[in-house]
This record gives sequence, C-alpha cells and structure tokens, in this order.
Amino acid sequence: MIIEISHFLSIMATGLFFLVGYFALFTPATNSAYLSNLISRTYSHGFLFLICSFLIYIWLAITDNFSVEYIANHSNTALPTFYKISSIWSAHEGSMFLWIVFLSLWGFIFNLSVKNEEILKAKSIGIISLVIVGFLVFLLATSNPFSTILPIPPMNGADINPVLQDPALAIHPPTLYLGYVGFVIPFACAISFLLEGKSSIKWEALARKWSVAAWVFLTIGITLGSWWAYYELGWGGYWFWDPVENVALMPWLAATAFVHSLSVSIKSSQLRVWTILLSILVFSLSLFGAFIVRSGIIDSVHSFANDPERGLYLLVFIGLIIFISISLFVLRISSIKSKLTIKKFSKQSFISINNIIFGTLIFSVILGVTYPLIYEYLYDQKISIGAPFYNAIFIPIVLLASFFLFFSVDSKWSRNTSLSFLKTPIYLSLMLSIISTIFVMIFFNTKNIPILLSVFAGLLIIFRYIYEIINHFIYKKFINPFSVIAHVSLGLLIVSISFNSLLSTERAMNIYINQYEEYKDLKILFQDIGVEEKSNYDSIKAKFLVEDLKGNKFNLNPEKRKYFTRGQITTETAIYVTPLRDIYMTIGDQLDDGSWIVNIQINYLIRWIWISAILMGLAGIMLIFSKRYRA
Amino acid sequence: MNSIRKKRIYNICLVILFSISGVGLILYSLNSNLDYFFTPTELKNKTIPVDKRIKVGGMVLKGSVERISSKVSFTITDYENSVNVEYDGIVPDLFKEESGVVVLGYLKNQMVFAEEVLAKHDENYMPPSLKIVNDN
Repeated sequence: MIIEISHFLSIMATGLFFLVGYFALFTPATNSAYLSNLISRTYSHGFLFLICSFLIYIWLAITDNFSVEYIANHSNTALPTFYKISSIWSAHEGSMFLWIVFLSLWGFIFNLSVKNEEILKAKSIGIISLVIVGFLVFLLATSNPFSTILPIPPMNGADINPVLQDPALAIHPPTLYLGYVGFVIPFACAISFLLEGKSSIKWEALARKWSVAAWVFLTIGITLGSWWAYYELGWGGYWFWDPVENVALMPWLAATAFVHSLSVSIKSSQLRVWTILLSILVFSLSLFGAFIVRSGIIDSVHSFANDPERGLYLLVFIGLIIFISISLFVLRISSIKSKLTIKKFSKQSFISINNIIFGTLIFSVILGVTYPLIYEYLYDQKISIGAPFYNAIFIPIVLLASFFLFFSVDSKWSRNTSLSFLKTPIYLSLMLSIISTIFVMIFFNTKNIPILLSVFAGLLIIFRYIYEIINHFIYKKFINPFSVIAHVSLGLLIVSISFNSLLSTERAMNIYINQYEEYKDLKILFQDIGVEEKSNYDSIKAKFLVEDLKGNKFNLNPEKRKYFTRGQITTETAIYVTPLRDIYMTIGDQLDDGSWIVNIQINYLIRWIWISAILMGLAGIMLIFSKRYRA
Repeated sequence: MNSIRKKRIYNICLVILFSISGVGLILYSLNSNLDYFFTPTELKNKTIPVDKRIKVGGMVLKGSVERISSKVSFTITDYENSVNVEYDGIVPDLFKEESGVVVLGYLKNQMVFAEEVLAKHDENYMPPSLKIVNDN
C-alpha cells in the first residue's frame, strides 16, 4: 500500500508540474500578479508531492521492503542504513529518480528565493517544470522504480555492488547530479529571456548565483569521483578519459566558460548572445551526459545495463529541448542588444580568448566521445580513443590558456592595457618560473619538454598571483579574492599533474612470504597473509612492512574480498599518505609456486590534484556567499 | 568597398582559416591516436601491423587461464574463434573465466601481448557486440 502511495504521489507531481508549465508558458498575461502567485504555489506543491514520494521511497529502502523490485535487486538486510539509502542511486531507476528530485529541488529553491515580481520568474519556473515533466514521464514509463514483485516478495535483497559500498561513492553521485541539473536554472532564465524578447531585461544577473553554485557542485562531484576511483577501484590514477568521465568534463568545461562570459555580460553588456548560447550548451551537455550513461550506446565502466527504449526516449526528448531552444535563439537573436566592440587587451578580451579556448576543448572532447560511434557507422569498424588523443589536445591548449591567463592578470575592465614584458610583476614571475623550471630539469634529470613546459606554465600563474597577493597586503592594491584562489588552484593543479606524470612509477612484483624486496627507496618485507571471515565477505589480507629512505616504518595491508551474496571479488588498496607522495599497494593472485603478485605504485603529488580542485570549488562557494552576490 | 567592410571580411576569413586548421589538427590527432577494436573472428580475417595498438574483446575461455611468474596468459573467445593473450601484471577483480574482457595491446604471431586488461565493474554489463554473440 505504501509503495502505491509513493508511486501515486510522483504521478500527481507530474500532473502538477505539467499544469505549472502550461500556466506559465501557454496562457497570456503571465505577468499578472495573480497568475505568477498561482504558478509559484503550484510549483511548490508539485515539489512537495515529489519530495514526499522520494522520502517514502527512502523509507521503503531503510525498512527493507523487498516487494519493490528495485530495492530487492539492489539492497540487502545486512547493509548498514547509510548504504541502504545510497543503494537507491546505485543503479539506473533509483538514480534517475534522485536526479529528477534534485532537478525539482533547484527549481524549488529558486522559486522560494526569487520574488514573484521578478519578470522572468514565472516563465523560468514553467520551463523548469516542463523539463521535470519530460524526465518524470521517462522515469515512470520506461524505468519505473516502483514496480513490485507480488504476491511473494523475496526474503532478502540481492545486495548493492560492493565497490559501491563506500562513503565517497555514496556522496559522489548526488553531488555530481546536483551539479548537472543545477544548470537548469541559467538555462530556464535564458530561455524565458528569449521568450520575453526584451533586451533590457537582465537575465544574467538573475542566473549568476545559480550558475556558480551548480559549477561548484559539478567541480566537487568530479573530484570525489576521481578520488574514489583511485582508492577503491585499485586503478591507481586520477583520470582515465573514460567516456563517462568525459561526459562530466564537457559540461564542466562549458560551465567554466559560461560563468566567465556571464561576468562579462553583467559587467558591460558584452558577449550577451554568446552567453545565452553557452547557457543552452551547458544544459544540453549535462543532458547529453545522462543520455550517454543511460542509453548504453558507449562502452564504459560506468554504463548501466542498458535498454534501447530508454535511449530512444532520452534522445528524442533531449533533441527536442535542444531544437526548441536553438530555434528560439535564432528567432530572437536580432532583438538582443549586446555591445559589440571589445577593447584590445581589456579583461573582456581575455575572457573572450578563454571562451574560444574552452570551446576548442569541449569540441575535441565531444569528438573524442562521438567519433567511435560515427566511425563504426561509416566503416563498420569498432575503434576506441584513449589518453594519447586527449593529451595531444589538452596539453598544448592548456599551456596556451595559462599564458593568456598570466597576461590577463594585468588587464582592466573595458580598458586597453599595454602588454609589456618590462613590467615588474611580469618579468619577475617569468624569471622565477624559468629558474624553477631549469632547477626541476636538472634536479630530476629530465628532458620531457611537455612536462617541463607545463611546470613552467603552472608556476607562472602561481608566481604572478603571489605577486598580486603581496602587493595587496603591502600597498592595499585591490584584488578579487575569488579569482585569485580559483586561478592559483588552477596553477597548482597544472603543476601537480605535471609532477605526478613525471615522477610516479609502478611495478608489479612476485613475492613470497618473508621475502624482502627493494623498490626505489623503499624496503619492503612481506610478513604474512591470512584469511579472515567477516559478516558479509571473506577477506585475504596481506601484511607488509615498508621502510622508506628517512627510516619511517609503516605497515601496508592490501586486501582482497570475496562477497557472499554476489560472489564478487574486490580489491582493497593499501595507501600510505604523505604530503608529497602516496605509497599505493594492491595484491593480485597467488601463483602455483605459492608466491603472490603485488603491485606497488609511488604516486607523487596526487593529493594536491584533488586539493587544488576542491580549492577551486571553495572559491566558488565563497563567491556565492560574498557581498557582491548578495544583491 | 568601404574600410569597415573590408576589415570585417578580413576578420571573417581569419576566423574561418583558424577554425579549419584547428579542426584539421584535432582530426589529425584523432586519427593517429585511435585504437581499433576487434572480436577474435574479425581478427582472423585481418592482417594487422605489429606496431599497431589494438583492442580485442570477448569472453575468457573456460580453463584457459594460466599463470607463470607474474605473467598471465588466457584465451579470448567469441565462441566461434579465439585468440591467445599474454599479460604481465595484475588482472582486474572482475576478470574471471567465462566473463567479458577487453585487452589493449599488440598482435604478434597470432598472439596478443596486452598492455592493459579491462573488465567491467557492473557484473551484468557486457559490451553490446558480445551480447549478440551470447544470445545466439
């Protein structure tokens, strides 16, 4: 009975959201106070119904109600409550449900915090509602999380995939989803602006806070995913250019370009047309991500077990959204007044360059993701595109971007700046970076040009901003703290990635109990290995004693687990973390002669990759709560 | 033609030139960095240069996994044809007999020397092309 209530509530919500969309977009005089009030209230009720439906669903999961087919397939009585809840987003139906709930949550907060008098509000709410309706119909018609196993439900559930029983994974998808769907707000604002057709309305100011917030969630969500894959999957890296990672990277790149060009549009009414196009692009790429992951058209470690019907629905729906918004854009483009001239070497000019650069990156990632599909269609030959392609594209372009960023620090809004190498901050940071890079080259004895150039580029950014910071504290020169933190983090990210790829090493070795091995500066002793029986898995746990150059001794206990319910085997990595490097160990199989295969990696600066990404997100959070955004 | 027009045309030409060369470079780098994917049957009828990196996908043949020192060798099959693989390193957790696998490596004397072995982390997941093979 309670299942049907939950199901019924979400159907009711679909109906209410449809009404909101209808009232907001297809009735005349939307701007009357009565109607906008009605729209706002109806939306809130729709959200209330949907959130209640979802809360009941969580309750069903917590209380192990295995009459629900989805819960029976993905949860288990032995799971801790925390994972019973997170099992909801461990597969397609439930995660889609969460995705939609978040979509409506953004709309709800927007609805609460924007006054009804705001001219674009009613239409924006209407657009958000129609998007929600499209996805709710998709959920209920093709991937119903409420379908039941009757009359006799199974005694116990099939259990969540063990690699997903992890705190980082429990919070990574929700954070990422909040990022993806958050871009519905700027999208809705832009579309309602186009519908309204009055160039004087400042939709950009309305959308600003929301865009940055969604960007923050996306940034942190991607970082969490990267960190999880590192320690849980035993892959030992931070990025694999897997199609699904790319699918998250594309909206991130587009969103980064978008928040930059948004600031230009707000500041000086330039790039307005371009900003609208970007807002459509960001949201379309987020939806494209949902399509790629859920249609199964691309082979990826993240793919959900697939179903062509779902793919088709999503493709048609997303295609419709893109088609309508682009047509509207083309129809209304001439009525948007945007100042055309951008002064050479002004802040605006650098942001335009930033946008071109990001556009190129997005285009190449889109190509990398879709090219295999096109190629297979044309030549009937399956291909795949891996890291070499992306490295060939990203390294030179990011280097270029860094140099532009370096010079942009000096630039002013709407004013010419002379580009001179003779200015103190410029030649000082250039010299410092060159000296440090030469030092790196000699100290690590490397002639790897791309890496040395990247180190140079990253340091250039860092030194340039350090100069600004010092200047600020001594001479009280104005700095934008958010820009400084975000860009220094970018510099830090580039430097960390470069050092990581320059210095990190790994080796698979064959080792007997009580054997002693040396690898780089590490002395490794294989002390013991044993089997332990836990509540829901058997574990093979090895004990290693490792000593590094400084004489620090530590234990590494890599583990292999075999889970009872699914018979699945997982690797538990053992990691010794120091500020500069991780000692990372996984254990493989036992050979016939009794020895074990062990993989050991030394990963340099890998923590700093995540720290700099999180710092970037932090800059965004500070920006949202800052004075300049309170207006 | 007035000077503003001239300038505009000049700018547009410049933009087009840059875009075309940009797209050209991206496509070039795409073509030189892609890996071809084969099933064992497709591999049988093709000659592949020794230095060309390829991907081979299929099921791990039952009873074919052998370990010598840190090396592991096994046979990938699509239940019509099969190909032997050798790999030096730790195979992923989900690697097991009669389960889907994709390897990345080089073909030499009808044997694949793998650089990477991939198994999928959704255990119900199978590459679409293999699903067809399996259903038959």
